[in-house]
Order: sequence, then structure tokens, then C-alpha cells
Amino acid sequence: MLEAKGLTKRYASVPAVQNVDFCLLAGQVLGCLGPNGSGKSTTVKMLTGLLDPTAGKVFLHGRDIRDDLVGYRKRLGYVPEEPNLYSHLSGYEYLELVGTLRGIPKSHLIGKIEALLDLFKLFSHRHASLASYSKGMRQRILLISALMDNPDVLILDEPLSGLDATSALVIKNLIKELGQQKKAIFYCSHVLEVVEKVCSHLLILRQGNVIAYGRSEDIQREIGQSSLEHTFMHLTAEADVEDTARQIAAVVSSK
Amino acid sequence: MIVAVRRGLHERMASTLELPFFRLVSLFIARTFDSGGKPGTEQLDFGIGLILALLALPGAVVSILLFDKYSSLLQFFRGARDFDSYAAALPDEYFFIVLSMVVTGAVAVWWWDTIFLDRRDYLNLVPLPLSTRRIFMANLTAILFLAVLFALDVNAASSVLFPVVAAGAQQSLTYLVRFAAVHALVVVLASMFSFLSVFAVVGSLLLALPYAVFRQISLPARIVLILGLLGLLSTSFAVSAVAGHLGEHPHSAVRFLPPVWFLGLCQILRQRADPSLTLMGHRALITLGCVFVVALATWALSYGRVFSRISAAPEIDTGRRGGLMGGVFSALDGIVLLTPLQRAGYRFVIKTLLRNQRPGLVLGGFMGLGIVIASQTAFSATNEVAGVIQTLPSVDMLSIPLILSYWILLGLRVAFEIPVELRANWIFKLSLDRNSTDVVPLARKMMVTVCLLGSLGLVFPAYLRVWGIAIGLGHTLFVCLAGAFLTEILLLRLRKIPFTCPYPPFRDSAIVSVLICILGFIAYTVVSSNLAHWLLAGLARMLLLPALSGLAWYGIHKIRQEIAVEQEPLSFEDQPEAFELLKLSDGN
Repeated sequence: MLEAKGLTKRYASVPAVQNVDFCLLAGQVLGCLGPNGSGKSTTVKMLTGLLDPTAGKVFLHGRDIRDDLVGYRKRLGYVPEEPNLYSHLSGYEYLELVGTLRGIPKSHLIGKIEALLDLFKLFSHRHASLASYSKGMRQRILLISALMDNPDVLILDEPLSGLDATSALVIKNLIKELGQQKKAIFYCSHVLEVVEKVCSHLLILRQGNVIAYGRSEDIQREIGQSSLEHTFMHLTAEADVEDTARQIAAVVSSK
Repeated sequence: MIVAVRRGLHERMASTLELPFFRLVSLFIARTFDSGGKPGTEQLDFGIGLILALLALPGAVVSILLFDKYSSLLQFFRGARDFDSYAAALPDEYFFIVLSMVVTGAVAVWWWDTIFLDRRDYLNLVPLPLSTRRIFMANLTAILFLAVLFALDVNAASSVLFPVVAAGAQQSLTYLVRFAAVHALVVVLASMFSFLSVFAVVGSLLLALPYAVFRQISLPARIVLILGLLGLLSTSFAVSAVAGHLGEHPHSAVRFLPPVWFLGLCQILRQRADPSLTLMGHRALITLGCVFVVALATWALSYGRVFSRISAAPEIDTGRRGGLMGGVFSALDGIVLLTPLQRAGYRFVIKTLLRNQRPGLVLGGFMGLGIVIASQTAFSATNEVAGVIQTLPSVDMLSIPLILSYWILLGLRVAFEIPVELRANWIFKLSLDRNSTDVVPLARKMMVTVCLLGSLGLVFPAYLRVWGIAIGLGHTLFVCLAGAFLTEILLLRLRKIPFTCPYPPFRDSAIVSVLICILGFIAYTVVSSNLAHWLLAGLARMLLLPALSGLAWYGIHKIRQEIAVEQEPLSFEDQPEAFELLKLSDGN
């Protein structure tokens, strides 16, 4: 369904992402992991068409998304990493703006917005300015805006950021439910426990390169680790976390 | 030795400003001018300098416009040998007093929300080891500092230029200095009065109402104050003539207008006040003192109560949906707003203009300038005809709506360039076809709406009432067509969705841009008002209007074809990439 082939992005001559290949089928939830600066956000931006790749292509149903970017985006729902919204609009007005830009008929749009606002527990605050929303509330607005046009492909970049425990549980179950509805979901996160629970497949990046890609269980079995956390630490060769924590504590308590 | 003393003073000053109290004061002052720390607005800060320059502009413009009246050479040609500048300056003095009160009052109303401490202050300052009293004193100091700063700034240009224009031709320097000193003192006091009055209104409302109710009535209260200030501006034409002979009108309501009190004070200081104006002058000083005390007292009394309750007030208000606006938008959908971008963009543009401070401030500045120039033009036009209604309005009279439309349309166009939360623009970028040609129709419909509303709501009723149906209809039609023509010119190079691109590189071409705007203004108003006068002089000539409009449209069409802007993709210049190659080795 959604396929990346040789996806590469260079800034000047410095590579941010190199030769990323993967295929995301309908019903799959692909978790994208990697330490800071590994190229996750750049990959996401190229997948959404917000950033042009230096080399490589993204295909939807075998067709280059650049051939019909508007058509592709019509089938795409996107939750960016940061909840950057127009804070002078209310939650309702923002969703109305997004829905109108997406060309959803007014009669259909209002009902859908109100139903989703109600389910996401935002209905009573729908006419309040987004400036007064908490991060979690803004995140829920982003999720609604990504889902309101019933997309075939969902690209979620840290979708649980700022959400309370209940909302996070709802979203985790929602992702599974949407997967069962044959939607293709690209899920980017730092939270390994969540990725382990919701993702059927994994794409692990390090310094812009794919270091692991496949079914979660297969990767863990191949590496010989019992949990995703250990697999991730093994693959990304991050510093000794316990030792780093000890050093920080020592600096904090030093005079 | 001098250097050492200077350095010592500088260091002492710097260390004083570092004290917690002064850091608080500077924090409260700075946030009046900053972007409020909203993401995506970092590079949009106009800076204190530009804001202060904009506020001083109306006074400068009006002073320059008065050159024609006071020029000694022109007086000579007019045969006015014994020109008394004190007597001649009385109506203009009144106008400047009104102007200073209106501009300063409008500034105070505009910054209504940032004058007082809010939830952000509460959350940031209360956890720190600062006493509530210290925070209060710092806030009060900042407010008084701003009152003085705005009063001085708004009147700075007129305090220099107006005396030079009005009394510069007099041989005595003492005369000029005295004229200038009195003028400066009176307008600054009038500004202080206006600022403190708004401050007193806010303080009284805070004291009288629960905080949640105060927040709800805040917007209507501001609208009422703005209407009051505009009403004050409109008194310039009629009141100044009465104010000079107040003794002959013992029961005139003019005596209750604050600018008249300050005009009385001005005349006292110039030793030209009759008993009525002397009374008015005393009233100015008494009310200024009263307003100062009321403002201080209400703020002091309401401070503790309001500040301590900020944390208890709900963080998110439930808000209210604009039912009327929603109805208007729905009515326009499908008839005027034909595509998704037009429907979404139209709502977005209007809400941004109404709710976001920066584009609103720019548009407000241009509108204010337009209102001031139009008021001044109306003021001189009514003085010239001295109450005689002619069958055909003069060129000056016809130019008033054209002046307003020029500055409002130009203000809108400039405001479109002001970015609003750049980081939120991804939603437009994600939803739109970059080859869309919908941006110009969207902006055009926005600007034409404003032009139509102004023409039908103000121009038509005003000209209909004074000059009858033929002139009313004819001039309204002309203003609409001239506005549409100007809109097309202003949109020639537009390829951006309003408010969604970084600020253009304005500083490099600022002087040229300002010159073009001024020349454009002169050309537009002079040519079009003379043309309107000629067309309305014989109504059969109005039949030429369709031909002239067609010619103008054809000209613009040809220019647009030549620059071929519509073929360019939509502009979405983003912020610089987070990734930057420094090339440090290049220096070797």
C-alpha cells in the first residue's frame, strides 16, 4: 500500500536520511523507532509530502505520491510531533477549517466534528480558544483532524504526547481498531512500551539509516533479546543508561 | 575622569536595573510590546521602536497637512497681512487635543488585556520568593511608565512640527518656544487623561464585577470605548467653532466634552481664555487629578482580590460561538465562496484579523491614519464652505471615502503579509495544491467585501442625506469601482495565503515602499476625486463609467499577463530548516 524506496534526504551534502526502504500494507501498524537525530521526523515529513526527498520515492498503491500529491493527501491523516495550531481559533473552528480545506461537505462535516469532539471529551470546550487548551487537549484536536476524513493511511508522530492515562489507553485501542479496519498506520514514537503493544512491524533508524525492519517478534528473536527495550538498546548502541544516570546525579549533588 | 564617572554611573544603573523590582517592571513593560511568547511568532516582533513610530505618525501627518493653512507666503498671496496664529490655531489645537486623546485611549484599549496581571503572571511569579506587594508595585510602576511613554510618544511629532508650522513664521523665537511648550504640555496632559480614564474604567469594572463576568464583558466594554473615542474624533468639525465662543452658548453640551476642558487649559496658558474657557481649564486639571486617584484606588483595591482569584478561575472558558458570523459565512458559501480554500480561507482571514494582535494592529494603524487624514480633510472642507450646502460636493468632500478606502485596502494588503503562527501552517501546506490559483480570488473577495461594506454602510447614507439620491448613488458606485481597481493593483503579485508566510524582507526596501505608498495615495485620491467631481458635475457623464472601468480592467489584465504571477506555485517559505551547515572550515 504505502511504500518507500531509497528514501534519502541530504542537507547540503550531509545526509539526514539514507536509503530508507519499507512497505506498509493495509492493516499493518509500523512502529518507527530511533534515538534523537536518527531521521524519524525527516522520514515522516517526506512521507507526508511536506519535504521533498533528495533521492528515492514514496508510492501509494504503486503510484508515486508526487504524481498526485493532493489526491494522496486526501487519503492521508497526519498527526505531527508538535501540536502547532492556530491559537486564535477555537477547537471547533480549527476542525472546521481543516474539514473545509479537505473539501468535506458542510452537512457531513458538522455532525462528524461534533461526534468526535464528544468522544474525545472536548465538546464542552469546543468554542474556547486553542490558546487556553492544555497540550493533551491540543493533541486530541490533532487526532480528530487526522481522523475526520476517514483516511486510508495514518501517519502518527508521537500521538500520545501530553495525553492523560485514560486518553492514551483509548488511542492505543483506537490504533488497533483502525488497523483491523485495514488502515495503514505509520507510528513514530520514543515510548517503547507503547510501540511494543500497538505495532505489528518495526522500523528502527540510527543516524539516518535503517538498522532493523520487519515483524516485531522476528526482530527480537533475531537479536536474541527478550523485550523491545533491550532490543532497541542493543541495536542503537546508546550509552550505558544506568551509568549516565549516576553521573547526572553526581553532578546535581556536587557543590 | 569623565570616562570613569560615566562608567561608574553606567555600572550603577546596570546593577540597579538588575534588582528584582526593576526586572519585574521591565518584564511588565516588555510584554506589552512582545508577541506573548507564542510559537511561530519569534521573528515577527515589530519592536518597540516601530510601534512608537506608528503611534507618533498621525500627529506628524496632520501637522504637515496644516502647512498650507499657516504658510506665510500663502497668507501673503491671500492678502492676510495681520495673521494671528494664536486665533487661527484654536480649531487645530482642539483637533490635536482630540487626536492625542483618541490615539492614546485606543492604545490603552488595545492593550487592555496585557495591562493587568494574568494567569501567566500568576503561574510564573507566585512560586518565586516575591511578595504580592512587590509584584503590585512593579505592575503599577510599569503602568504609570507606559502612560507617560505613550503620552509623550503620541504627541512627540506634533509637539515639534505643529508649532513650527503654525508659529515658525513669527519673528520671535520666544513666541515659538512658548507656543510649542503650551501645545506640548496640553496634549500630553490630554493623553494622560485619556490613558488613565481607560485604566480607571478597567479598575472600576474589576472592582465591581466578579472576575469571570469581567472577562465576559471585556470585549463589549472595549468596543463601547472605541466607539466613544471615534465619536470624540467626529466632534472636531462642529465643536471647535463653538468652543471659541463658549460664553455665547452657556448651556451647550460641548462643555461636557473633555477635549474642550483641555482647550480651555491651553487658552489659560496662552492668556487668551474668556471666563467660560477659564472654567473649562480648571475643570481639566480637577478631572485629571480625579481620574488619576480613581484609577490608582480602583486598581489597588481590586488587585488583591483579582490576583488571588486568578488561580481559582477556570483555565479554559467555555467560549461562545459567533452565531451571527456563522450565519453570514453560511450565506456566502456557494454564492461567493466557491472553493474549499475560499470557504476555509475567508473564515480564517476574518477571524485572524479580528483576534490576532499583529495583523489587527497593522490594519488598525492604517485605518487610524486613514481616519485622521479623512477627518482633517472633512474638517477643512466644512470650514471652507462654512455651513453652506452646495448642490455638488467639493473635490475634498468627494475624496473622503477614497482616502479611507485607500488606507483600509492598503492596510489589509500589508496585514496579509504579517505571519501568524508559522509553525501551524503545515495544515495549509498539507491540504492544498501548490498550483492552486485560488489565493487571489480569496484575497480579492476579502478586500471587496470590506470596500462594499464601507461604501454601502457609510458612503451611501452620508452622501444621500446631504446631496440627494443621484449624488449618493453615483459617488457610492464610483467609490466601489475605484476600490475594486485599487484591490486589483494591490493583488498583482500575491501568491501567498494571507498570514501564512514569513515576513517579507521589508527593511531593505522600507523607504522605497513608504514612498510608493505615499505617492500612490496622492495619485489615487487626487486623480479619482477629481474624476468623480467631473463625472458627478453632469450626471450624463456617469455613462462613461462603464467604459472607464473596462479600460482599467483591461490594463490590469495586461499587466497580470506580463508578470504571469498566476502561473507561479503557491508560496510557502518555511522557517529555516533545523539542520544548518555552518561551514566553519571555509574561513581557513
